[in-house]
Order: sequence, then C-alpha cells, then structure tokens
Amino acid sequence: MAGKTAIIASNGSLFDAYKVYNIATAAAASDHEVAIFFTFEGLNLINKEAYGQLALPAGKEAMAEGLKNSNVPAVTELVEMAQELGVKFIGCQMTMDVFGLKKEAFVDGIEVGGAVTFLEFAKDADVTLTF
Amino acid sequence: MIQTDKLLDAKGLACPMPIVRTKKAMNELEPGQVIEVQATDKGSLADIKAWAKSSGNQYLGTFEEGDVLKHYLRKADQAEEKEEVAFPHTLTNAELQEQLGRDDVIVLDVREPAEYAFGHIEGAVSIPLGELENRTQELDAEKEVFVICRTGNRSDFAAKQLAEKGFGRVKNAVEGMTQWDGSTEQSKA
Repeated sequence: MAGKTAIIASNGSLFDAYKVYNIATAAAASDHEVAIFFTFEGLNLINKEAYGQLALPAGKEAMAEGLKNSNVPAVTELVEMAQELGVKFIGCQMTMDVFGLKKEAFVDGIEVGGAVTFLEFAKDADVTLTF
Repeated sequence: MIQTDKLLDAKGLACPMPIVRTKKAMNELEPGQVIEVQATDKGSLADIKAWAKSSGNQYLGTFEEGDVLKHYLRKADQAEEKEEVAFPHTLTNAELQEQLGRDDVIVLDVREPAEYAFGHIEGAVSIPLGELENRTQELDAEKEVFVICRTGNRSDFAAKQLAEKGFGRVKNAVEGMTQWDGSTEQSKA
C-alpha cells in the first residue's frame, strides 16, 4: 500500500457524494488503503433507497444539466467502483440508531462501527478528509 | 501510431474514471508492458503523471490529437531494478557520445516503441528487447553495436543475445537513457 486515506462523510447531497467518492476512488486507484466513515446525513450516500437519487443542494437545481453533460459517472457506479477497489465503508452505529435504520437498509459490504472504529483506522492515515 | 501492448479507451469519461480504468488495465499487464490510454478529460494529463509517480509506474509521455489525449505508461518491473549487470563490455554515456560521429557503429535502442518515441538518441535503431531474437538480421554484424535502454538492464540482456549470435563488437551503455544528457529526438505521433 502506498498510503492510507481516511474520509468522514457527514453530508448527504449529490455534490457531497461526488466529493467523497471521487477522492475515495482516486485514492484507492493510487494504491491507498481507504476507509469512509458515514455519519448523520452522510448515511444517505450508502442508503439503498437514497443513494441512486440524491438531491442537488438547495438552490443548485439548475446544475443538473451540467452534471448530465459533463459525463460524470452515476453515484451508484462510483459506489460499485469504490467497493471493487477495496474501499472500506463504515456506517456510524449511533446515527443509524437515531435514524432508526438497520444495517440491511444500506448497500452490501458495509461495516458498522462507532467513532473509535474510525479513529483506529485514521490515527496513522496519510490523508484525512471531512466532507 | 506507436505500438503498445494494450489500448484503453477512456474517452468521454470524467475524473476519476480515467485513473480508475488505468489502474484496472495496468493490473492485467505484465511488468514491462506498455499501455496507451486515450482520454478527453483535460485533467487526466496531470492526474496520469501523478498517478504514475505514486504507483511506481513509468510515465512515458502524451500526444495530443484534437480533443484526445494519448497517454503512454509502462508497467513497473521489479526484476529490472534488481538484476545485476553481467555483460562484461560496457561504456559510459560520455564514451558513447564520443563514438556517435563514426559511421561504422550502430546505436541500438531496445526499449519499447513508446519509450523510444518520446526521446531517443538521434539515429538510434529501435528494436525492443522482446523482438531482438527474431530481428538480429536487420543489424550489420560487422559494425560495432552500442546497446542502450532505460537503465542498462534490458540492454544487458540484448548485448548478451547479440554476442551469442556472432556480433563481435558489442557494448552495453550501462547508464541508460535516464542519465543521457546529450541531445535526443522524438518520433512523430
């Protein structure tokens, strides 16, 4: 492994998905060990019902056209790519409890853990990002 | 048209897909093989270079044709870095430089065609190491042959092959193109 990248995803709009997954897949493709900790609204990005139809941020609806024309991959495609490249998805147990969601509500292959699970991974990461 | 081992079409894809696809395609290559990555994402130029650096692969260069960027990469070869140079007759780049004016010498470049294309010694003959076995008849065995590659390892193999095939005067330019500071020329796309 060439390095280690730890990401916290704590927001749930379509833009947030691209910020998180673009960096995650790029890092994984560069042989980084990557983990994403999904917490609060960030859980949308791995929620089976939500992640394929994430909303644009309020007031940015006009950018839908731009996204379509610039050939950016679908969020579902990026998630599949990230998992294929070995990116570890960690769902925040505490937020899942608050939202009343079970592990089954999320894409397959996620781990569920608390803050310490993420900290353990992030403590010796080369790159740490929060979105 | 540069000969490569694999062509990856990443045209129309936005960041980070060209890199992700390149990474996957590289996994399928053997060490030392060369890939051409075609992309229309303008950011791929900087990204491919940075990716090659962090992943330890060799970035050879990029040609631009209209909207299409054609990137050339060679997969890292661990064995190549460690192999000990065994062919006894060698010369330094400075010594090679002095010999270039003579007309009874051949400079033989045994790197891959894409490596050759992005910078080689003027007048050097290009025969990749993998093809040398079947193409030695293209070379005049009466002439003195100076073999060069990137770091002196492939040229070491090539020099041994030529000596076995009856070439009497062969020398390995051990320092290779990475340390060549004389003039070079590029091939056309």
